[in-house]
Amino acid sequence: MSQKVIKYIGRTTDFRGNTLWELVGNLPDWGVGRMLIRNMFQRYPEPCYMRILKVSAVDEKPNEERKVRVTVEKTWRGVTQPKPVEIYSTSYKADYELVPKEEEHKFLNNKKQVAEVILPTKIEFPPLLREYIRDETGESNPQMKVHFKKTFNKQARLAQPNEQPTLQVSMDLGKPKPVSAKLYEGVL
Amino acid sequence: MLRQLLNPMSVTAVKTGSNDFALEFVRWRRKPRWLPVAKSKVFRVPERKKQTEEERIELMRLHNQYKTQLRSVRQYLREEVIRHQETSTADHIVLTPEQEEAEFQRCLEVNAEWNAKIAGEREVRLAKERDEKVAYVQERLEAGKLREEERRERADERIRFEIEQSKTFVTRANLDEAIEAALANPVDHNFAIDLAGNLYRGRGTQSLNN
Repeated sequence: MSQKVIKYIGRTTDFRGNTLWELVGNLPDWGVGRMLIRNMFQRYPEPCYMRILKVSAVDEKPNEERKVRVTVEKTWRGVTQPKPVEIYSTSYKADYELVPKEEEHKFLNNKKQVAEVILPTKIEFPPLLREYIRDETGESNPQMKVHFKKTFNKQARLAQPNEQPTLQVSMDLGKPKPVSAKLYEGVL
Repeated sequence: MLRQLLNPMSVTAVKTGSNDFALEFVRWRRKPRWLPVAKSKVFRVPERKKQTEEERIELMRLHNQYKTQLRSVRQYLREEVIRHQETSTADHIVLTPEQEEAEFQRCLEVNAEWNAKIAGEREVRLAKERDEKVAYVQERLEAGKLREEERRERADERIRFEIEQSKTFVTRANLDEAIEAALANPVDHNFAIDLAGNLYRGRGTQSLNN
């Protein structure tokens, strides 16, 4: 008898793993202190993991994947968030995986960080607005501030005075990165 | 990272509010949304198209570029509006402190004048209301007195009637007489009626002969 080959039919998914309740419900003390990962985030070279701080069960609803309220300390792309994060609305996703205790060092020893991006502080105006401002003020090349909002896990920052920005921002399409330059062959 | 920087979705949704008021009307040419999936399409598995790496990087770069541009312009316009509001005198008149004081005094005088006028009107109105109230209370009092007299009259009438009635009451003193009188005059309430409507009192047929 030949080996039986299982052929899956239907929509595929990028998720891999279990829902959070399936993991947490089977563990002693609800797995408090254990390390979790979302497989979707393992695409990044920087470490992405979570550590369970608190678990509270939620009643099962008919015809739905069971959800659970879990408070975690989250590290995303090498940055640990200062406040604990509650996972509830995404806890049904079958994308969580428990990290065995002896493998946690793989994540803890991964010290990769996202490369810092330095933004310029000034950007030129869009063409029509620039013409209006020229008419009003007489300035030949008016500039405005670049929008930037500081958050705790941002590796980008505005350039200090006398600092060279690493990212050029202009009011046009900009230059494609060398990787994707061939998309523009014969167009630009 | 940069994508994260430029794309906090909740902030975007709040700031632009693009979806709630932009209504789009649809005229159904083919299958309306509320009909179920066609029988021939039930088991169709849609193909998932893969983005190539260079395409993904380029699209993300364009997205970041666009968001930076748009937010910078929005920020500029917002600051411009605030600056305009702070410096412009278009919608209000600027006064010196003396002029302001004089204006305030004038307003006080006008206010006092209004108050005096309204106080006069109020005096007249209150006096009128007081008179009306007095007249009303007087009228009610008189009506009440009349009502009381009528009630007393009716009660007296009733008492007189009862006293009149009490003369024929059976008491312990005349109980025997009353019993004897009743036994001596038995009353027979039976009667019969013939077709002509004649009444025949008594149980026996003697009355026929009477």
